Amino acid sequence: MGSTAHHGAEGVGRRDLIKRSAALGMVAAPGMGLLSGCASGGGGDSDEGGDTKGKTSKDNPFGAKKGSKLDVVVFKGGYGDDYAKAWEADFSKKLGISSTHTGTQEITGKLQPRFNAGNPPDIVDDSGAQQIKVDVLYKNGQLLDLSEVLDAPSVDDPAKKVRDTLIPGTLDPGMQEGKIVALNYIYTVWGLWYSGKLFKDKGWEVPKTWDDFLAICKDAKSQGIGGLAHQGKYPYYINVAIMDLIAKKGGLDAMKAIDNLDPKAFVGSDAAQEAIEAIYEVVEKGYLMPGTNGLTHTESQTRWNQYKAVFITSGSWLENEQLKQTPTDFDMKFLPMPLLSGSTLPFEAIRAGSGEPFVIPAKAANRPAAQEFMRRMLSKEWSTLFAKQANSLTILKDGVDPGVRLRPGTQSTVEASKAAGDNTFRYLYTEWYGEMGTAIEAASNELMAKRIQPKEWLKRCQAAVDKQAKDPASKKNHRD
Amino acid sequence: MRKGQYRFVAGFLFVPVALYLIFVIWPYIQTFGYSLTNWKGQSQTFDFVGLDNYKALVEDDVFLKAIWHNVFFLVFIPVITILLALFFAFMLNAGGRGRAGGVQGVAGSRLYKIVYFFPQVLSLAILAVLFNAVYRSDGGGLLNGFLIKLGLVDADSPVEWLNEPDMVLWALLLVVVWHGVGFYLVLFSAAMQSVPRDIYEAALIDGAGRGQSFFRITLPLLWDTVQTAWVYLGIVAMDMFVLVSSMTQNMGAYGGGPDHHSDVMSTVMMRNFLYYGKSGYACAMGVVMLLLTLVLSVVTLRATRRERIEF
Amino acid sequence: MSAPIKETFPAPAERPVAKTPVRPGDRRGEGVALNAFSHGFLALWALLIVLPLLWLVLSSFKSDTQIGGSAFGWPQHWSFDVFSRAWDKGIGDYFLNTVIVLVFSVPLTMLFGSMAAYVLARYRFWGNRLLYYFFVAGAMFPVFLALVPLFFMVKRLDMLNTYQGLILVYVAYSMPFTVFFMHAFFRTQSTAVYEAAILDGASHTRTFFQVMLPMAKPGLISVGIFNTLGQWNQFILPTVLMQPQSGSDPERYLLTQGLIQLQQQQGYASDLPVLFAGVTIAMIPMLVVYLSFQRQVQAGLTSATLK
Repeated sequence: MGSTAHHGAEGVGRRDLIKRSAALGMVAAPGMGLLSGCASGGGGDSDEGGDTKGKTSKDNPFGAKKGSKLDVVVFKGGYGDDYAKAWEADFSKKLGISSTHTGTQEITGKLQPRFNAGNPPDIVDDSGAQQIKVDVLYKNGQLLDLSEVLDAPSVDDPAKKVRDTLIPGTLDPGMQEGKIVALNYIYTVWGLWYSGKLFKDKGWEVPKTWDDFLAICKDAKSQGIGGLAHQGKYPYYINVAIMDLIAKKGGLDAMKAIDNLDPKAFVGSDAAQEAIEAIYEVVEKGYLMPGTNGLTHTESQTRWNQYKAVFITSGSWLENEQLKQTPTDFDMKFLPMPLLSGSTLPFEAIRAGSGEPFVIPAKAANRPAAQEFMRRMLSKEWSTLFAKQANSLTILKDGVDPGVRLRPGTQSTVEASKAAGDNTFRYLYTEWYGEMGTAIEAASNELMAKRIQPKEWLKRCQAAVDKQAKDPASKKNHRD
Repeated sequence: MRKGQYRFVAGFLFVPVALYLIFVIWPYIQTFGYSLTNWKGQSQTFDFVGLDNYKALVEDDVFLKAIWHNVFFLVFIPVITILLALFFAFMLNAGGRGRAGGVQGVAGSRLYKIVYFFPQVLSLAILAVLFNAVYRSDGGGLLNGFLIKLGLVDADSPVEWLNEPDMVLWALLLVVVWHGVGFYLVLFSAAMQSVPRDIYEAALIDGAGRGQSFFRITLPLLWDTVQTAWVYLGIVAMDMFVLVSSMTQNMGAYGGGPDHHSDVMSTVMMRNFLYYGKSGYACAMGVVMLLLTLVLSVVTLRATRRERIEF
Repeated sequence: MSAPIKETFPAPAERPVAKTPVRPGDRRGEGVALNAFSHGFLALWALLIVLPLLWLVLSSFKSDTQIGGSAFGWPQHWSFDVFSRAWDKGIGDYFLNTVIVLVFSVPLTMLFGSMAAYVLARYRFWGNRLLYYFFVAGAMFPVFLALVPLFFMVKRLDMLNTYQGLILVYVAYSMPFTVFFMHAFFRTQSTAVYEAAILDGASHTRTFFQVMLPMAKPGLISVGIFNTLGQWNQFILPTVLMQPQSGSDPERYLLTQGLIQLQQQQGYASDLPVLFAGVTIAMIPMLVVYLSFQRQVQAGLTSATLK
């Protein structure tokens, strides 16, 4: 992965989840998060204390104790929470440790008070719009250093440490001051998506260059189909396309310029200029799906599932999120961003990273069981369970049993990742500078609505960068 | 005052004041304390930063813009809602002609009163769901679908109601008005019914038209009620959180788009509080909101102060 | 405003013989145009209210695909399955919880609010005016601001996720309004009755409960309606204060929370019909209650303004 360890990392995928779910706009969010909400979900039984440490053995390196209870709280978002229930059932069967399970969208609301009160759950999938920021939990001493888990023997191959069985770089986002305190479990790729069926019906070829992409949009438009859809109410999504174009055109230098708040990150950057002009061409030529600028993610994606648009931007949670809306013969496919001419990175290069941070609270009542639970999450068996239940990949290398038939979209991401090889990239500014990210998204929203031109977009983005550069907090972060 | 009276007064005030102090006032005071810190909201650790948050606030364009949006709502929500409600109330109570002469409401006025009140029983959460569907930016939206049917809007370029800087505030305003008119209509008609009928009839005999009787008789007699409505609607205008955060383009979190054109103080505050993790700063915004509303309420109270009755 | 009315305008349909006024008071027609406009506008507004609601109800019978497709399709099949799915999500329980809270919180609000308003309105003592403003100003504070400290306060009292905790908080936050309106009410009450009661030897407390409070009934009803609607629609406070504190703590969500939860789930697994069905279920009882009591509601508001 293109990234190195950094402060304040919150997994890439998670951030995205956040944004799109923040989306939802929910009314609720206010309350809950805000508030310090309320308490908890998962069972309180485990906080009764008592001795939860059992005997350690080779199969049970942490001494998880039979008959004890595990309090699991899982963010129930795009991936649902069936996968966690499946794990818990297996855990109970194999180790005799039953779980109280809480699946929720209100992580902050439910857990903040429990953290404050010192009776947190044992293991938490701390994701979604109302996630509690990992760095904040860390700074408050609430998180367990996961090195014991990562250095424990892998379930599949006891000769190996768990950390050596993972896709390289996927642990980085969970690092705080050199310690891994969050396990970003889900492997996510970002880019465009299309329907294999629609392509077949129309006789289109997979576009590898921007010109090919525009040609398909043009053809689609002539047949009354929108070219590109995006989830306009959450400008986060179209920004994926824009920023990916910049990254692929300008390569690492272009990304570094933005992440490091270079005075020429946007204004004066050829990559940024060409990328935004390319996107603007789509707008100007009327290739957007009608109304897409104002739709929520589910509305827009559902329209796309109904063949009202050829392409849509999203991350790999898309398939699971749209499960109910996708026609059976839709044949969902992932597509790396097509290339502008003279691009630095190859077509196969994709934005990829790990998301969905799982944490073990430092004050977890049943720490041994929680550690064992996490160790098993990184086994092939549980990773496969996850892939089956949530239609997504985990950070475990070759973590899906070959016998499992993945859904077409997920399968296509597997192939895309393989094709990309080391050519994966990601931005860090979204993790480091929330306000700057918001300002860029706001500018993109204006551009998509044709209220500003590419020139103005570059200026506004540069202004956001310059403003952030003045913030003393920005000195702490640097991408090499 | 006699001693027993004091005891009585204290006895009656004790519970209400205690509840109010514990659950309302004390939390607000604590908020003020937080506004002087760099609190991040998720823990009880923070440093004292003096007035830094307030200094930053003065330069925060988004927040300053948001204040003006609140002012927009503060002016137009009461004006439009009250005017509409007055008009309807007048129509329903004095707009018709009685078979026996005299003054009465238009035909079907009882039904209207019932129907108009409907939205009032819907919670804001329901309103948000409903109007998101109404304003949906493609042919699936009620409004766009309707206009497309009429041929007024091209199906390929539907109106993005909530993504137009010039329209978004009005679109939100309409929701509030839709919601509120019925209540004030009923309130005003109640007040109108308390106006003795013979006053109207006398006016009619004098040759006053409906318009005249409205402005010369009804409105002055209703003035108190109108002021009450104003206070109530002013509070609605200062809030707007639910609708903005759940209906408008997302500016990081809690709506506010496009390009902060619909941000109000409460959404900016919440975004800073949770999304940016600048909770101390958000509390400073809260304190400013508090001061603004305080000024507002003092002004309103002055304006609406009624004569004290004599003992 | 308008000039004296010409009598040559056609009479309204229901009054066939009306070329000339029958009696002085019988003024017809200030202009058919105005009339038509007024009636048209009244009817239009009624449609604007009813149609979106009906449309929403109708939409709950549609499929997700249809909802996204066109605004005007008819449901393909009338299946009530979606309502039972919405019901399964707990709408019934949420409803009951809301009723439990309001049954206590509204009367208590009225009781304590009236007590405070009464002494503030009718007794002179040091700090009276200050206290009045102190109460009333609270009406305008944004609730969000107080949420975090409030949460910890309720927690300290060990009342999180309890009915009594939420009830007390509702009462406290309804104080400003109630005091403001009841204050106006008590101030305009007859002093003579009060003096008579006191002269009869009634204590202050008795005078309040047996004489003054009953006299304020119209006001109580109308302010009570305000409060019922306000508390019914409250969502931030329950969201913060009514969350299970542990796995064994039962969920006591209120209706607004439940709906929000339904809406949130839309973000992850779109099921718009269920959301619309949930909204319909939540909406209908309120409409039924209103329809059954609308006479009282209107009468209450009427007497409230009769001072």
